[in-house]
Order: sequence, then structure tokens, then C-alpha cells
Amino acid sequence: MGSFFHRRKGLVPYLLLSPGLAWLAIFFIVPLAYLGYQSLKSGIFPTYEFTWEFSNYTEAVSDYHPQLVRSFVYAGIATVACLVLAYPLVYWIAFRAGRWRNLFLLAIVAPFFVTYLIRTLAWLNILADEGPVVGLLQWTHVLGEDERLLATTFAVIAGITYNFLPFMALPIYVSLEQIEPRLLEAAKDLYASPVQAFLRVTLPLSAPGIVAGTLLTFIPAAGDFINAELLGTPKQQMIGNVIQAKFLESLDYPTAASLSFILMAAILVAVLAYARVVGSEKLTG
Amino acid sequence: MNPRLTRNQLVRRGAAGLTVLSLPGLLAACGGGDDGGGGDSSGEVAKVLNFANWPLYIDVDDQTKRRPTLDAFTAKTDIKVNYFEEINDNAEYFAKVQGPLSQGQGIDRDIFVFTDNSRFPGLLVDQGWVQKLDKELIPNISNLIDAQASPPFDPNREYSLPWQSGMTGIAWNEDVTGPVESIEQLLEDPKLKGKVTMLMELADSVGLTILANGDDPATVDDDVFNRAADRIQAAVGSGQIRRFTGNDYAQALTGGDLAASVAWSGDVIQLLLDNPNLKWAVPKDGGMIWTDNMFIPTGGSVPTASTYMNYVYEPAVAAKLAAAINYVTPVKGAREELAKSDAKTANNTLIFPDDELLTQLHQYDSAALNNQEHITRWQQVLGQ
Amino acid sequence: MRVKHHLLTTYAMLVIGYLMLPIAVVILFSFNEPEGRFNYVWQGFTFDNWANWDAPIGLRESMITSLEIGVLSTVVATILGTMIALAIVRHHFRGRASSNVLVFLPMSTPEIVLGASLLALFIQQTGIFVIGFWTIFIAHVMFIVSYIVVTVKARLIGFDRHLEEAAADLGADELTTFRKVTFPLIAPAMLAASLLGFALSIDDFVITYFVAGGEQTFPVYVWGIARVATPPQVNVVASAIFLVAIAVALGNVLWQYRSSRRQRGAA
Repeated sequence: MGSFFHRRKGLVPYLLLSPGLAWLAIFFIVPLAYLGYQSLKSGIFPTYEFTWEFSNYTEAVSDYHPQLVRSFVYAGIATVACLVLAYPLVYWIAFRAGRWRNLFLLAIVAPFFVTYLIRTLAWLNILADEGPVVGLLQWTHVLGEDERLLATTFAVIAGITYNFLPFMALPIYVSLEQIEPRLLEAAKDLYASPVQAFLRVTLPLSAPGIVAGTLLTFIPAAGDFINAELLGTPKQQMIGNVIQAKFLESLDYPTAASLSFILMAAILVAVLAYARVVGSEKLTG
Repeated sequence: MNPRLTRNQLVRRGAAGLTVLSLPGLLAACGGGDDGGGGDSSGEVAKVLNFANWPLYIDVDDQTKRRPTLDAFTAKTDIKVNYFEEINDNAEYFAKVQGPLSQGQGIDRDIFVFTDNSRFPGLLVDQGWVQKLDKELIPNISNLIDAQASPPFDPNREYSLPWQSGMTGIAWNEDVTGPVESIEQLLEDPKLKGKVTMLMELADSVGLTILANGDDPATVDDDVFNRAADRIQAAVGSGQIRRFTGNDYAQALTGGDLAASVAWSGDVIQLLLDNPNLKWAVPKDGGMIWTDNMFIPTGGSVPTASTYMNYVYEPAVAAKLAAAINYVTPVKGAREELAKSDAKTANNTLIFPDDELLTQLHQYDSAALNNQEHITRWQQVLGQ
Repeated sequence: MRVKHHLLTTYAMLVIGYLMLPIAVVILFSFNEPEGRFNYVWQGFTFDNWANWDAPIGLRESMITSLEIGVLSTVVATILGTMIALAIVRHHFRGRASSNVLVFLPMSTPEIVLGASLLALFIQQTGIFVIGFWTIFIAHVMFIVSYIVVTVKARLIGFDRHLEEAAADLGADELTTFRKVTFPLIAPAMLAASLLGFALSIDDFVITYFVAGGEQTFPVYVWGIARVATPPQVNVVASAIFLVAIAVALGNVLWQYRSSRRQRGAA
């Protein structure tokens, strides 16, 4: 067998790749193709027929663009909120936590170890109308007597922020950790203020982490439906909720499938646009 | 080898396993951890009955956590029952099972339950995805109440038998609000803003609103439907309606997050145990009535399922179920049977509705249930 | 300067508190003694839920299903993923770039699209796929593989190829080199990757929900029961998963800490 490998060395990578890539091809690419096929069908359940029905796409956009836009707005706000919450935290862990670093890092990942649905359900308890948080906020007049947190836009975005925060924090931490301490000392010597040192050295060096974190947060957030379902009202429904309902409630597979592709395409456009902005800033900066 | 694993399941798992990965497939099939089995259409009564039903829809002994009527059935017939509380929503459950059924395959269930105010009973029968009952094995079918003898989706009761019926009305929490006895109040009283929910099930919510509009839910044309949908949509737009729910209104209602909900009768009777301040009423413009029906899906064992159906149509068994789950039993003689042991429950009109109550209850137009435009419109109301 | 220091520390602690709050609530409510059906308002402390963790019907079965699928799919995905990583890092061949893309695509696709597309395949091809246990397994392997590849790749890129070349120079064939040199070097990465894969599998709801049919994993069970009344035992299981995971991770942290000290001591 060894000699076989020696003689056919060029085959080795393909032998290594083929089982895994075959799995991805059959259970990722082929299903997407089926989804594409579904998206061009017409008719009513249970008899959908393939008719190259491209109008499914235009109708889906015209019927559900509010949810689509809302998904991107919510995901965008949540991504920014994640950045604002996570950056100072991981900065502190990377440069100030000393030998407790790994412990605090563990605290960032800890929510992952509580089942996604259950940690979202826990927010139901925390934000309940009769719960302590709302009581405190009403007592301090931050919230009006009749106002609430649960079933609001705030709750949905806060839920998304909470659930995807680790995706933002970890890549930033990795990029901060790789910064040479000597570089920072040099920066302190060169620039008068620590703020300048941060802006000129630390921030640019952590940029790859921010970019990765932003993508890792934004993409799942835009497709999420759990938070809007559990913490929102009909007015906060996102595109994920529509896809889920079309697939599993109204059995409208063609619309569900076309919405899935529209979501993927929209995310791709957003990511490319983001890449351009990030890229051009780097060029000008 | 797991004794709970039937041959059928082994073959299936093995076959499925072979298509992906032969060895682990068989290994896991032998060590399999989930229940399953059943699914034999042959003429003999099987050893196991797989029964899919809604949650909180059968008697449970609080101490032992066992289900007494199922245990008694096993003792009597030697048929073990695997009871799956896996139906939370007609559409969602239908979506899950329709794939295999549409290909003529079984789903490892011998009985499942669908509500007659959804389009699915009609679809199941029309598509041939359910099997005929073996009425020879169900002599107790004579105990079926007359009102249930001939539903539109199955006029001769060849494919289905009712499990329980229930009423849709309004529940409210007296800690939070005074009585909420009309849909008008629920949808338009500013004091309840953001504190009410409606049910996701179209026929429940739209049906009640149709009644509130002074229209008749038995004949739902586009105008009637749209009038009701517009009114509900306006209540969503104004922030009056907080959410559309399945059973999950119950927690928020008892917890006080909600003031009032469109709610099912039996649920509220069960909830009263937790919170005596809950009230339920048929709205003043009328309430809806519906029936959950047992079907035998393709691949299910007809004799086994029929044997079980016969069992639950014994008045004594029906009485036990009615007392435990507080919905309306379709079995004649159950009330008399229950009166012997529990007169209070037997006189509860929410469980045994009297004629006065029945005149206030309406059924949704079965022909309109499958109207695609209505379904699409309703989805848009649910998520704006 | 000092003030700024404290400001940052305070901020960091507040964010940590925010991250911990729901976890604390989940654990706290696993000890609640609800009067009625709902575990929503704190009523009183009890150990009963932990003692009778599997009292709710279906909870134990769903947990077993989750564990079975977690183990099976992780093992398969780790093998497939490590092979891909080896090929991509160690070999130059035609189609390397597109292989990379194929590996990354599932990670950048929203879960709901992954679930929906698999369901589209499975309901079209019910002759091949019986929706249930095996379709969940297939789906989990599919979405875990990419994470395995990324994790193992990171480790492979970092290590010294000369070790393998030395082994080859000493006359070892490819398989022996792999067994004696490469495998021991990447084994820790494979372990880390499989832990990540297992965690992803146990936690997944969205994809599983689409392809599960009648089968219930723990998250799918929670989704169903949450519509009725979540029993405190669900919090018990969630807390137990959390505590086990934290224990494993803490053990890992301590082990790294000790071995780094030992290394420093040796140097």
C-alpha cells in the first residue's frame, strides 16, 4: 500500500478529499439545487409543478421586502452592539487580565454551553412584564408605567446581540492576542497619548479580527428567527420567520425556497459591499 | 440488540444507514435509543401501538407519571402503547409527515390526530394518505354522538373518529383586567393594548372575528374573510395584539404578561389549577367549536389502531379521559359514567356543554379552509 | 489614567455580568418549585427536579437521541474533516482553491437555508431518505465538517514539516509517517475540533428542526414543550450540559496552564 502511494502521489490529495467533499456536494450543493428547483415551481399544495416560475422571486420581494429590510437592520444594529460590547471586554482580557485570561475567555464562550433555545427562553423570564428588570426600570422612570421590554424591537435585537456576541468577541481576541507587546511599548514611546497609540497601532492590528467577527455575527443574525419568534411581536418578524412559516406552516415551498435564495443573495451583496468599504478604508488609511 | 426495536425499524434504519454509511448505520440501529416500531399494515394486531397526539391531551397520574388509561389498555389487550406528544400545531406536524406520506411511505405512527378546523383532514383523505378504519373491530362506534357522525371531510366516518372536541373563546386574567367578553374589546379596547394574544390557527382567530363582524363563519367568502383579516391586521398594526400563539399563551397569561387571550376551553380549566383568577368565556357574539380527529396514516397498523379506538369509545374510558383533560368528549354515556364518581365535573358545561351553550358555538366553513389566498393573507397578518 | 483603567475594568465586568445573567437564571430556575405547570415565577427552592430529572415524558429519550447523534456525527465529521484539512494544507493540487470555497460555503450560509434546502432534498427523495434519525445525522455531519476543517487546518499550518521529511528520509513510508509522526501531532487539534463539533451538534436547533420529522433531539424537545409549559427539568438538563462543558473546558485551561509552566520551568 505504501508503494502504491509512492507511485501515485498525485492521487493522495484527491483520495483524502473525496469522502468529505462528496458529503458536502451531496448534502450541501445538491440540496441547494433542489431548493432552486422548488423555487421555480408553481401551483398549490400538494401539487407543485416545475414551470420556471421566476415570478416567485419578484413576488416574494414585493410581498416580503419589509421583513427582509428589517432583518438586515436588526442584524446590523446587533452587530454594532456586539462590537461595542465585545471590543473593550476582549481588550481588557488580552491586556489586563493577566493569568486569568483563559478563565475570562471561558466566560465569553459560556453562553454557548447553554442550549440556544433555553438561553433565549431565559430572557423571557428576565424581561417579563412583572419581572424585576422592568420593575426597576419603571421605578426609575426609564420605562413608563405601561411600557414593557418583552415583545418589543429592543428585546429582539438584545436577544440577537446576546446570542451572537461570542462570535464577535473570539476573533477580535485572537487578533489582539497576536499583537507583540514590544510593538505597543514602541507605540507608547512614539505617540504622546495612549488614545493615539490605540488608534494608530492596536486598532489597525485588530482590524482582521473585527472584520471576521462582523461577518460571523452578521450572517447568522440576518437569518435568525428564534429571537423574533420568542421575544418579538408580529411587527418584529424577520425574513427567517417568513421562510420558516412558509415551509412549515403554509406549505408554500416555492415562496419559501425563493425567499431562501433571496436571503442568501442579499447576504452576499451585503458582505461584498462590506468588503469593499473595509478594503477601501485600508487603502486610504 | 435493543428489545424495543422492532424488525421493521431495524430494516428501515439499516436501509437508511446503508445509503449513507453501512457499518455505523447497522451498529447504531442495533443500539438505537429512540422508540419507534409499528408501521405494519398487515391484518394482524401488532404488539405495539404508536400514537401521536397533542401535549396535555391524555390522563397522567401525577404521582407515578404514568398514563392510567394507556396502562389499562396494555393490561387488557397486551398491546404496548408508545405515546408521542409531538403535535403542537396542525400545519407544522402535517409539514413534517407529508413528505413520506406523499411517497406512499409510513411514518412509524399508527394513529395521529388532526383538527377539523384546519385543511389537513380533508387533504389527508383526498390524497389517500390515511387508511380506512376496521369498523368490525370498533363496535363501540355506536357510542359516537350524533353531531359528530358525518363531518364534511369524512361523511361516513370511514377514516376517522373524534378524539375530543373543544371550544375557542376568550380567557382573561382577573389580576390584570376586568372581564373581556367580546372580540371587540379584545381587539380595540385601548386598556388592553399590547396585553392580548390571538391563536395562530386561522379558523380560531378569524372565526371569532367573523362572528364579531356579524358575519357567518359557516359560509366564508372573500369579503367575509377579508373583513375579519383587516380587523385583526389593524389590531396588530396598532400594537393591540402582542403575539399570535399556539398553546404558549398559557404561561404568559397565568404569569400576568397578558391580560387576555383567544384560548381553548380545556386549557383554561387545566390552568385554573395554577391560577384561580383565570376566567374563560364564549364571546358575546359567539364562539367556535372544533374537533380533533384520530386517523390511521399510511403504513400504520389498522387492526391495532382500530382496537385502541374501540377502547377509548367505551364510556368508562371516555369518562376518565374527559375528567383528566377537560375537553368535550364525543362519546355517548361518558357523562353518565362520570356522574357516578365525579358529579362536579359531570356538571361542568365546558366539558359537557348544554344546549344553551351549543347554540352559541359555530363551526368554520370547511370549504374555505383550503383557500390558498386566505392562507397566504393569514400568514401576512401573522408576520408583518 | 487610573480612572480610565477602572472604567475599562468596570465595563468589562458589566459585559461579563450580562453574559452570565441568563445562565444564572437557567440554573436558578432548575431549583424552582413551581406551584402549577409553569416554571416562570420563582416559588421556592427544591432539589426534586435534579433528583427526578427525567420525570417529564420524552426528556430522557430526546437527550439520548441528542447524544447519539452528537457522538456519531462528530466521529464521522472529524474523520472527513481531518482528511480534507490534510489534503488542503499538505498538498498542492488542481482544485485546491475551489475545495477551500466548498468547505467555507456552509459556514457562511444561514442555518435556516441549510435546513430548508436539506428538507427540500429529503422530501423529494423519500425513497432514499427516511426523515428522522439518519437525516439529522447527515445534516449534522454536513455542517460540522467545515468547522473541523478550519480547526485542524489552523494546527496543521502551524507545525514543522521537517519532522515528516525526516521520517521519510529515515525510510518510513507515508502510512508509517502518518501513524508515527503526523497523527500524534494533529491529535490534540482533532480532539479540540471534535469537542467543538460535538457542542455544535448538541446545541443545534434550526437545521435539526427542519430535518427531524418525528425524531426529537433535546433542543427540538424544548421547542415543543416550551409551547405548552417548560418543566424545571429542562433547566436541570441544560444546567447539567453547561456544568459538564465548563468542567471539561476548565480542565483544559488548567492543563494548558500547568504544561506551559512546566515548559517555562524546563526552559
